[in-house]
Amino acid sequence: MIEIENLHKSFGSLEVIKGIDLHIRPGEVVCIIGPSGSGKSTVLRCINRLEDATSGRIILDGSDLSDPATNINQVRAEATMVFQGFNLFPHMTVLQNVTLGPVKVRRMSKEAADALGIELLQKVGLAEKAGSFPDQLSGGQQQRVAIARALALRPKAILFDEPTSALDPELVGEVLEVMKQLAREGMTMVVVTHEMGFAREVADRVVFIDQGIIQEENTPDELFGNPQNPRLRDFLGKVLSHG
Amino acid sequence: MGFTFEWQVMLETFPLLLSGVKLTIIITLGGLFFGFIIGAVTGLMKLSRSRFLRKLAGIYVESIRGTPLIVQVMFLYFGVPMATGLRITPVAAGIIAIAVNSGAYIAEIVRGAVQSVDVGQTEAGRSIGLTRIQTMRYIIWPQAFRRMIPPLGNQFIISLKDTSLLVVIGVAELTRVGQEIIAVNFRAFEVWLTVGIVYLMMTLSIAKVLQMTEERLEKRSAR
Repeated sequence: MIEIENLHKSFGSLEVIKGIDLHIRPGEVVCIIGPSGSGKSTVLRCINRLEDATSGRIILDGSDLSDPATNINQVRAEATMVFQGFNLFPHMTVLQNVTLGPVKVRRMSKEAADALGIELLQKVGLAEKAGSFPDQLSGGQQQRVAIARALALRPKAILFDEPTSALDPELVGEVLEVMKQLAREGMTMVVVTHEMGFAREVADRVVFIDQGIIQEENTPDELFGNPQNPRLRDFLGKVLSHG
Repeated sequence: MGFTFEWQVMLETFPLLLSGVKLTIIITLGGLFFGFIIGAVTGLMKLSRSRFLRKLAGIYVESIRGTPLIVQVMFLYFGVPMATGLRITPVAAGIIAIAVNSGAYIAEIVRGAVQSVDVGQTEAGRSIGLTRIQTMRYIIWPQAFRRMIPPLGNQFIISLKDTSLLVVIGVAELTRVGQEIIAVNFRAFEVWLTVGIVYLMMTLSIAKVLQMTEERLEKRSAR
């Protein structure tokens, strides 16, 4: 589904990602954890090509992202993104936020897109907010709309970039619940997160990134229960004692 | 001194100015219409990935902002026809001058408004597969446009006043009409006072409309 080979990414002289290999299988839920500034979000942004990789290859559903012949817009729609800051379009209603992609990218008719939009809003529990504007919603509701927007392209995978980090603590649960439901339905998901409980419960595989490389990857039980890498142990010691 | 203020002159002057008011409005609206198109294109060129387009837009904006409008007007009306053999009417020259001049300032308004939209909006648009142009058209531009309204209104007022400089090429706009009346009645005090009041009425009306538009937009976004 997503194959990352020897990914390097530098910003100026600062090398943020120093050679990452990661293969994500269809239907797999992979959580990426690690300290701030370790490059986890950058990996995600390279998959969506919001950042261009400095070197290495990313193959998304058979399309090579570094190949200039690849239609990046169509490929992007196969792995849509949910952002930390929601990034809903404030001048559009909730429903318009969800249907923009299907109409403009997938060339769906407005009627079909509206029907799909309502269906997806029902799925995230917000059908009654279809006509509202984003600034009338709570953060948790906005993020659920953003998930519906990402789903509306019928992507092969969804990339979550710290989806609950900007939320008030009492709103985190409703967003994680929607994500768990997606995971149960077999959606391929790559989730950069600080929610260790979510990673432990939902992930098929957890990847620990620090200093620009994958330090350890394993099933959640093994990774959390029996961490090998000293950096991982140190990291888990810090986050779990607060959790 | 021997000066006596005559109300009567002001009252008589007022209707005579109306043809000038009409031309002032036509030149302002025409100039700003094309000025907005020039400004939108140039403003987006300044944000282009192409260095060449950015440079080109920069040269235009800097040349216009760095020279007096009156020089631009005279260059356009007296200079350009001499070099090219193409004669244009004073009104057309006035509209072109206002368009080219306001375009440079509007370019900066457009650039600033577009840049003020959070980069996350672009990323969200691109992340669902929209092209750069679609992202600009459906996501960035509508948000940027709302932010352009106050500075555009400001430019409207500035350009309206700038049309008075077209007096140097003989356009029969408001200021010119005032001058012509004085040539006949020699009542400079009353006539210029009336002309000033008429300009003020126009600019205050624009400011009022602008304020109402802003309030409506605010209500809509606050809801």
